[in-house]
Formats: sequence, structure tokens, C-alpha cells
Amino acid sequence: MKPIPRAACRTILMIAMICGVATVAWSHHSAAPVFEMNAEKTVMGVVKQVDWTNPHIWIWLDVPNESGRAETFGFEGMSPNFLARRGWTRTSLLPGMRITVTFRPLKDGKAGGMFMTGRLEDGKVLTSAGAQ
Amino acid sequence: MPRLIAWCCGIVAVSTISLAAQQPKPKPPAAADWAALAKLPDLTGVWEAPTVGRGGQGAAVAPAPVPQLTPAYAARKRELDARDFDDTDAANCLPTGMPAVMGHPYPYEFLLTPGKVTIITEAYMQVRHIYTDGRPLPADPDPTFNGTSIGRWDRGTLVVETIGFSPLTTIARNTPHSDKMRIVERFHLTGPDTMSVETTVIDPEALMRPWTTTRTLARHRDWTIREYVCEENNRNFLDAQGKAGVRLGLPAKKE
Repeated sequence: MKPIPRAACRTILMIAMICGVATVAWSHHSAAPVFEMNAEKTVMGVVKQVDWTNPHIWIWLDVPNESGRAETFGFEGMSPNFLARRGWTRTSLLPGMRITVTFRPLKDGKAGGMFMTGRLEDGKVLTSAGAQ
Repeated sequence: MPRLIAWCCGIVAVSTISLAAQQPKPKPPAAADWAALAKLPDLTGVWEAPTVGRGGQGAAVAPAPVPQLTPAYAARKRELDARDFDDTDAANCLPTGMPAVMGHPYPYEFLLTPGKVTIITEAYMQVRHIYTDGRPLPADPDPTFNGTSIGRWDRGTLVVETIGFSPLTTIARNTPHSDKMRIVERFHLTGPDTMSVETTVIDPEALMRPWTTTRTLARHRDWTIREYVCEENNRNFLDAQGKAGVRLGLPAKKE
């Protein structure tokens, strides 16, 4: 059997971590009634505000739409308590940073969803399971 | 009128005296009581279920046994299931209460002091007070989310008995309990930094037989308990019709 390349291992591990967290650690409310848990979307934008708050952090991202105007997306993340023990800090994301966010979209079709991963311009990746 | 007041005061005084006679006044802890704690298993510190956030890298968890309900409570559960609520009131920041309070994906801090074990639950910032000073359980405590607890040490195991639960708490999802519910927990160290928590729910009206589940906790000596104010920025909700949603709105100004 050929060894699995390191990059693939990392991807598999990241997916496993994200899936594990989504099922295990979402205790405050059920995710399935409000988010499309089988869908995944990606947007690129500029961080407008970060609410480093309980019971969930909220990341507000200005995303340019087709007409060039910014539309503000809201992303629900884990709690600061959970994330601070796994490599995030309240300054991991700051207003003005450009990030690409992958998320489970809101079922009601509004702009936002459940935060899965955020890729920063410097290549750093923040996930709902922790910073890498 | 003065006679009536005097009569009332007399009744209050007599009741106070009779109450005082029933409850021995707790003794202040002596040096020996503090020293005795060192001989107990060291449950102190911050604990969390090892599978939390490890994305399945923790120990494999066997499917938890399902509570076997009596016909009357099984019928009640079917009624509640049929409402098809999206979620529970936890989405509105209502704490879950026992037994679910011990199943959060958040840490717990155990404190041992003379005659008492205190469990600080990070999620929803709750505290469980477990009296180990030999007092009996009260006959008819006011119903509360976490109940009223006493504990005793059975060799190396802390055995906790809890009664008196609010009707707002449940045995499991859509599974109400009766006012006869009793919960017995057995906490014991299984390694230098691992602890087994066996929880048995006993409810002769709701359950055909006691329902036992076991959870393992891992100690994190370098962790501290953080604040968790659920109402700080709760954008989730469950409405009266059982519909769950998210309030987006404009971001709150933080200045």
C-alpha cells in the first residue's frame, strides 16, 4: 500500500476534526434546524467586526456583490471558551483582514451561516476545531 | 392588636426553634478536617470529556443506552416528539439541568473543601453543591435545575445522590421525569488524569428500570474555567411554536 501524502493526511485530519466538532461540541443549540449541514459555500471578503462573545463568536464579513457594493455576511463560530483552548485568540481575526470563509449556509437564505474555515492572506487557516 | 403581634412573633420563634433543633448547626472546619482532604482521591482540577473537539481522535464512544420508559411516559414522549420542535430551550439560554448538565462539551472544575464537593460547570456558569458532611437529603426540597445533592466516599469513589428536580428539566430529549426521579453518580479516578463518571437515573414512574450511562473525563491541570454568559450575544432562538432560527440583524456596536 502506498503511503498517503502528507498534504492529503492533513486535509483528511482537518475534515475529521471539523466533522467531529460539528457533531460533538455544538451543545448550545442544534445546528441542523438552522444551517444546511450538507451544503458548503465559500465567500471572500474583508472582516468588518468580530464578536468574541458567548455562546458563539460572530464574524461579520463585507463581501462585494455583483454590483460592487458590500453585503455583510454573519458567521456563527464556536465559543471563545472552546476556541481559546485550541489556538485562537480574540485578535486572530481583526477588522480589515481579508479572508476566505467556508461555511454551512443559513437555511433561511440570509447572508451567513455556520463558520467552518477561514483562510487568511498569509496562508494561516482558522477552523471551527482550532487554529492551524 | 399588640396581643396579635406578640402571638405571631411567638409562633415564628417556636418554629425557628423547632427548625434549629432538626438541623444541627454545622461545625466550622478544624485543621484536621482540612488535613483529611489530602487522604481522599484527588478529584480537584479542571476536567473535560476527551472526545470534545478532538474530532473523533479520542476514545471510541459506544452508543449510549436508551432509557426504557414506562407505557405512560412513552406515550408522553410520543406526544412531545409529534410536536416536532426544532430544538430545546437551551437555544434560548435556559440551562439543561440534571442529568444533561454533566454532559456538556465544556469543562468542569472540581473543588474539595471540608464537608463539601463543589462542581463548577463552565457551560451556562452553573455550580453544583454536594454536601459530604453526613447530612441526610432533605425530605422535600424545592425543585431546582440541578437538584439537591449529598455525597459520600465509598473507598475511592465519590457517590453522589441527587433529588428534587424542576419540571423544566428532562431525563433526555422529550422525556419528562416524575417528582420521584433520583440520580446516583459515581466518580472515580481511573488514571493520574482520567476519571470515570457513572450516572444512574432512577424514576419508578417514568423508567422501567434504572438508566445508567458512563462518561470519561480528562484532567487539564493548566486550564482555568472561563466566563460563559449565554445572554451576552445569543442570536439563536426557539420560538413558542418550536421553530428555531438565528437573529442576524446588524452587528452590535462594541464601542
